[in-house]
Amino acid sequence: MFGHAVLEIREAQVPLLSAMLLGGCAAKLARVLRVGSMDAGLGPTALFPLRLRRPVAVATAAVEFACGVALIVTAGGLGRGGPATGVRLATSLLFLVATCALIELRTSHPETGCGCFGEFSRAPVSGRTLARSAFFAAAALATIGLPPLRAPHPGADAARLLGIFAIELGVIALLSPELGEALTRLGYSEPCELRRLPTVRTLAALRRSSQWRKRAWLITTEVPVDMWRELCWRYVVFPARIGDRATEIIFAVYLRPHRPVVNSALVDSATGDVLAWPVAPARRRRFFAAKPQSTGLEPSGIRRLSADAESGSVSPAASLPISGARRPAPGASWPGPGSGLGAGSGRIPAGMLSAPSDPDQYLRAIRVDDPPNPGEDDLPLSSDL
Amino acid sequence: MLDVHGDFRCCDRCTGNATAVRASRRRMLKAAVLTAHGGPSGPEAGRAADFPVPGKLPRAVTGTVRDVSPHVLVIGNGASETRIALTSEATAWRGAPLEPSGVQPGDQAVVRLHPSQRSVADRIWANIGRVTGVIIERDADSLLVDEGKTKPRQLVTIPCAASGRIQVRFPNLEPGYLLDVIGVRRPGELEARIPATSQPAYPVGQMPAPAMVSGRVPATISGSVTWHDPVDEPPGLLGVSYPALDPGSGCAEDPVGSAAPQFVRMPYLAVGSVLQVSNDCTNSSCTLSVTGCAAIARLFNDRCVTCGTSPRGRIADLTQASFIALGGELERGCFNATITIGR
Repeated sequence: MFGHAVLEIREAQVPLLSAMLLGGCAAKLARVLRVGSMDAGLGPTALFPLRLRRPVAVATAAVEFACGVALIVTAGGLGRGGPATGVRLATSLLFLVATCALIELRTSHPETGCGCFGEFSRAPVSGRTLARSAFFAAAALATIGLPPLRAPHPGADAARLLGIFAIELGVIALLSPELGEALTRLGYSEPCELRRLPTVRTLAALRRSSQWRKRAWLITTEVPVDMWRELCWRYVVFPARIGDRATEIIFAVYLRPHRPVVNSALVDSATGDVLAWPVAPARRRRFFAAKPQSTGLEPSGIRRLSADAESGSVSPAASLPISGARRPAPGASWPGPGSGLGAGSGRIPAGMLSAPSDPDQYLRAIRVDDPPNPGEDDLPLSSDL
Repeated sequence: MLDVHGDFRCCDRCTGNATAVRASRRRMLKAAVLTAHGGPSGPEAGRAADFPVPGKLPRAVTGTVRDVSPHVLVIGNGASETRIALTSEATAWRGAPLEPSGVQPGDQAVVRLHPSQRSVADRIWANIGRVTGVIIERDADSLLVDEGKTKPRQLVTIPCAASGRIQVRFPNLEPGYLLDVIGVRRPGELEARIPATSQPAYPVGQMPAPAMVSGRVPATISGSVTWHDPVDEPPGLLGVSYPALDPGSGCAEDPVGSAAPQFVRMPYLAVGSVLQVSNDCTNSSCTLSVTGCAAIARLFNDRCVTCGTSPRGRIADLTQASFIALGGELERGCFNATITIGR
């Protein structure tokens, strides 16, 4: 009875060791793919000179993969005798060498992680890490001389095997500092200030927003003339035209992956004054009547302008500034959309506007021939102190 | 001989009138959209105008020494000339302390003026330069250093007299390791004299990942603030290169792969954003505009020990004039600082 239990425990080591080796290899590969360089490896490669680290990292991952696959392939009747014993000896040797390397790493590079499971193994090598490696070496040694593995009989045999797996996985979890790292990652939510969100996604989200549908009829170019990010917001500026007046529409898009909040304002290009939104032409009002127009974000106190309901043109005299936003110095001119690359007199229908596929595209649209004297809003110099 | 001709580009980050106008225009547009929607526009919009107050901070004059006598220093900058009085209290530095009258015509000088007496020199740095970057090549007597995509490569020589001092702090003068030295500018190279920090033990390709911390990024961040050489910046520019510019701006300057680590949790900003920088050693502070990206600064996880020990990480890389205005000593390389970012 006792001998049978020991045999079952020894047999359970083969799939467990294979899973650990293949899991470690996959985690290392994931790290290499994420960082984009094999040089970014962790662990005992730090013991080698810089030029040898890449080949050592490649060799380690290859040996792990080969042992993991070979353990499974030789577990059954295929590996009866010599091949199975050879593979299990090689696996034992791998874990023994790894244990010794970790002891050396702990002594010479106490701040370096073991790198056993790639990104998750960043914590410095500890006694638990060493114990786990030694445990795997012992488990691999225990598999030497096993007869070919058989599928367990359903019922008591299978339940016993599952129990052995559960207990052993619990022991491995106790010996694994990576578990804490994994739990931390599960509970981690990246603050919006640190979230990396491509500009293309911001533009796509903006195009889907109700603010865009309401304002797009004023916009004169397809690509924004400027776009930048501060904290949780990305600001996108499009040139617009109200009658003969050159204006700019600025959208503030909150940086979250789905359904971001979008705010917008209309600014006079020449003076920098915030203008009231003109009323959309009648045809557009009918078109948008099917969709909710009010976002609840309309600034209170903004006067609706008198407008020609058919043409959509607004009397320039009616476009009065509505807030005390900063103005440029007298005589200074803002680099407005009228002379920008994307300037044009015709308005673009909302459906034709699209986010540029090239994230650099909007940068090229920014004017670089700004006036030499930008006025009081120039960056300060030390001589101003 | 090492080849210093690398490919570098300015992108959105070079300072000058174009960037200055764009920065001020961005502030105006941002204030407009925030004001229109009742957002946190008040303090933030006001912060944009809250640039250094004249007469409150030390002023720096940068230029070429045209003449020097025991009592007067003449600094030229293009067609303009500035005459600065030298008193017995003035000090000077050119690789080592020297008498103010010891600076020579032709030297590139940075002069800190007395806050109270604007035509009197307080301290002079002659031919001072700094190289902060990744070593990419090494030969017998020089190092080639990459300072990021927006700056040309730098050639650094280490004289025998300074070699011991530098190698104590920078033991790995090999390709792939970081270097940060202050020294004397010579034609086409920097002669290193002082290590500006201690070298990280790891090469840039094997930087440890920063800790993952949930929750909002605090508006106030403390750490080390350094200065950088003016490459394309106008003389006397007050500005700050920020280590966390928006990676989506289409001009990433990550020197190692696409995801350079950033040890300090710093929110993404853009050229033109404003932040308040306070020198924790002198308690002076001013609001500065972001004028560039501190691509290399974010690779350092060091501390500044100018007054006490700062938290780890470089949080800003100032222009020379800003560094001096906030009370920094150029040859020290850093000061303990706190930056405040408007919400």
